[in-house]
Amino acid sequence: MAGSMRLLFRRLIRLSHRNISSTAAGTSCQSGGTSSCRGFSDAAEDRSTHFGFQTVPEAEKAQRVYKVFENVAQKYDVMNDAMSLGIHRLWKDMLLHVMHPQPGARLLDVAGGTGDIAFRFLDYVKSQQERQERRAARSSQTPSWQDISDKYPFEDTPHESLAVVCDINKEMLNVGKKKAESMGITAGLSWVVGDAEELPFDDDQFDIYTIAFGIRNVTHIDQVLQEAVRVLKPGGRFMCLEFSKVTNPVLARLYDAYSFQVIPVLGEVIAGDWKSYQYLVESIRKFPDQEEFKSMIEDAGFYCVQYYNLTNGVVALHSGFKL
Amino acid sequence: MAAFLRGVGGLVRVRGLLRGLRGLGCGADQRVSFPAAAPPPCSSLRRSFHCAALRLQDKPSSSSTTYHEHDQAPSAHAASQQDPDPAAETASSGQSEDQDEDYETEEQLQARILTAALEFVPQHGWSVEAIAAGAESLGLSSASSGMFYNGAGDLVLHFIARCNAQLTEVLSEQHDQLQLGQAERKKTSEFLRDTVETRLRMYIPYIETWPQAMSILLLPHNIPQSLKHLSTMVDDIWYYAGDRSTDMNWYTKRAVLTGIYNTTELVMVQDSSPNFQETWNFLDNRIQDVVNLASTAKQAQSTGEAVVQGLMGAALTLKNLTGVNQKR
Repeated sequence: MAGSMRLLFRRLIRLSHRNISSTAAGTSCQSGGTSSCRGFSDAAEDRSTHFGFQTVPEAEKAQRVYKVFENVAQKYDVMNDAMSLGIHRLWKDMLLHVMHPQPGARLLDVAGGTGDIAFRFLDYVKSQQERQERRAARSSQTPSWQDISDKYPFEDTPHESLAVVCDINKEMLNVGKKKAESMGITAGLSWVVGDAEELPFDDDQFDIYTIAFGIRNVTHIDQVLQEAVRVLKPGGRFMCLEFSKVTNPVLARLYDAYSFQVIPVLGEVIAGDWKSYQYLVESIRKFPDQEEFKSMIEDAGFYCVQYYNLTNGVVALHSGFKL
Repeated sequence: MAAFLRGVGGLVRVRGLLRGLRGLGCGADQRVSFPAAAPPPCSSLRRSFHCAALRLQDKPSSSSTTYHEHDQAPSAHAASQQDPDPAAETASSGQSEDQDEDYETEEQLQARILTAALEFVPQHGWSVEAIAAGAESLGLSSASSGMFYNGAGDLVLHFIARCNAQLTEVLSEQHDQLQLGQAERKKTSEFLRDTVETRLRMYIPYIETWPQAMSILLLPHNIPQSLKHLSTMVDDIWYYAGDRSTDMNWYTKRAVLTGIYNTTELVMVQDSSPNFQETWNFLDNRIQDVVNLASTAKQAQSTGEAVVQGLMGAALTLKNLTGVNQKR
């Protein structure tokens, strides 16, 4: 009860803040907020944003993105493999490798959809824990019966690592849940419906916040970054995997040709949806480049911001710390 | 109000601003009961100026370049608060209290984390796990160990730098005492022996895992840094030993001490005698060798000269005997 009251209060403050600085309150209106929302919707329709190469009112963008992902949810993973020729797995592995999570860490994967990052995170943490246990067992001597009986009731570690997958789209989460069941992962994973610009979590909750290939779909990138600052613990890490500008001009031309000629065709053939994949490649072009995104992250309040170019800049991995 | 916020918005920490707004909006907050006490507003205003000024000094040393913009905003914010508005003053003071915590630069925070991580080295070894445990002990998330791109190397190099700094402190203290006449001047060999022992004793708490640290220091990307630390340490020791040479001796002395130090360190890691007595004996012997070598070199040189003179004399005598020298 108190939690929802706090959320409501925070939403009101944020809405009043937005009204004063005259930015749109589009997405929160859509999530069916309080009646005070209605008054601000006029301001939202004046502002427009990009949806691929089209210009749409801000209030509409979230809806259209929702529809795109609703349509592609079933074939999302297959299409990822087809479009990137399987390289997207390497990109996600690289994200985990750079993250190097410690056992006991809590991950929030926003726009996590089908759960790729969360599954990899749980695997990584489990193998780290096994390695540590093996090392401890090797270095310590054979435990006596007294030691074993002392340790008996506390077999599970005091802090378990936890992965929370948050997505605005229920279809994507359903696909992810089915994948988890088929892989047999039951513990340490939860699925939450939520808007990245207004996360349904308290402050200072998570060690790591990741958003993989999701941030270019949001309406207000700076709000997402501010929410990330809010929910991260002090010392927490923000990591973002996103398509970015290719640095090499020759490769850039090849990449453009591939994006605009091949990908929508694949979309039509495999998923039966040309328009969604046209939106996808257009939205990549609309997203700010590596340096600009790095300065946006710094503006939100992150420190030690760095980016790594993967595959010559096709994908950039940005990382920042909340200190 | 709207214009003011638009100018500041996006550059200032939102949380602090929201809290300030909440204080302004709600009015039920206890912070707003300011007008009653006269001194606090002045001191808080002075503190907020002081905070803004310190931010201006601190930020340029951090890696991010957009901080210059950050600096303008809070100082302008603080300056505009001069117009007496007690409620606004509470907002700025609340904000500066917020900003008080991340005053230190990123480098200082990293140094703090690494120092805290040293405690966990016996348990986790010289590794990223130790750094993560250190960060957790400071109240930060374990994910902040990702800040150290060199991982375990950062931890070891930080420890070496600390040890060298401690050594320099000890040496300069001794030097001061010498200047004040409170202590007697030691012989060079004794001085070297004591200094190397002091320095190596700093490794004793971590001696179990020290071989791992040595191997980390030998990794190719760590070699430049570790060599730099080693050479500055050896240079410091010779400086405090009183060496002011400017010829080839400068190089030979440092090379010799580096050799002594490294070999003694290697003996120390596999020494199991009580209180590392074997190591100190080894150190004594090595220093004695060097001293002997110096005197042996002098002796050899004078012997050589004597031999050459003897040979010249013998040759002259031979010439005289055979009558080559006689003028006919």
